[in-house]
Amino acid sequence: MPRGASDAELLQAIAARSEIAFEELRGRYGRAVARVCRTVAGSEGEDCEQEVFARIWRKAALFDPRRGSAAAWLLTLARRTALNLSAGRHPAVPIDQEPVGGAVAPPDVDSFWLDAALERLSERERTVLELAYYSDLSESAIARRLQVPLGSVKSWKRRGLNRLATLLGEESS
Amino acid sequence: MRHDDASARLPDLLADRDDAALLAHVRTCADCQRQLFLLGRVDRLLREHASASRPTRARRLSPHRLLAFAVTVAAAAAVVLALLLLRQAPTHDMVLRTASGQAVGRAVMSHSDARNDSLALTARGLPIDRGQVFVLWAGDSVRPPMQVGRFMVDRSGGCRVHFNLPATHTWGRFWITRPGRSAAIVAST
Repeated sequence: MPRGASDAELLQAIAARSEIAFEELRGRYGRAVARVCRTVAGSEGEDCEQEVFARIWRKAALFDPRRGSAAAWLLTLARRTALNLSAGRHPAVPIDQEPVGGAVAPPDVDSFWLDAALERLSERERTVLELAYYSDLSESAIARRLQVPLGSVKSWKRRGLNRLATLLGEESS
Repeated sequence: MRHDDASARLPDLLADRDDAALLAHVRTCADCQRQLFLLGRVDRLLREHASASRPTRARRLSPHRLLAFAVTVAAAAAVVLALLLLRQAPTHDMVLRTASGQAVGRAVMSHSDARNDSLALTARGLPIDRGQVFVLWAGDSVRPPMQVGRFMVDRSGGCRVHFNLPATHTWGRFWITRPGRSAAIVAST
């Protein structure tokens, strides 16, 4: 399973019991799932993360790309798992049903997808984009903070943005 | 400019649209137009994501820093308000309609700087049966039509784009055509 595989391709490979695909998906969505778990399940966050990925391993075959994006399916599954855990381990939301992508709001899916997409950039590209957008630093300020030439910052920022745009294009197609 | 060079530098257009050579390439390159459209979406996603995570940080500010921040914001707001009151740029708001009269977009002209006017084009429901790239034209009763630029819409026929126009005279009319079919007007003010 190549690293360039789309999220939907990874889910299909996981359904066929590919551990490599599972590790790749876990690498991409680990941070995004952790954020959902922390927000919804609070102190149960770590258990929640484990449970979400265990469910992905078991239920990947239920993903249907015609019904929504992989990011939306994963977010729905993560939310339902977190809600169940936060309800004192007494399932309040049926979790054996197939998560449907359309059940979550598009802005939430976008945010969830972006968390995962940032994980697919190189460390330098991700750091520069996070400093530029989340810390509102200029390219010059980023260069000073990282102690690298300004040209490197410009180059990493361009490459990171172009890579995210390409991933978004693949996700939309 | 070679395509590879232009493609690598496309993110520059998110912040600065004055690179004439790059813009000239983008106007003729469908791949770059699509990538630029996606870059715009990525830029918006990152900004939204960043602003959504900022309130959490604000709660961690100490009272002293919070007060300093509030004073700074108030001062900035006062300066902006004063500037707006002193030189309120006139805006010109026009509706773009198809031949059947259906409103499909808005074009809002405003003063940008001494040499440029800014045009914000917002469209919704443009027909995409023959592709998602369109051309925006500007004209008046005196000069021949001028091609303002190309733009790309999403799958619902919607877009939000900005163009700069020379402020040398008043542009009275705008219309949209398909690339290479300047006589077939899709919508017009």
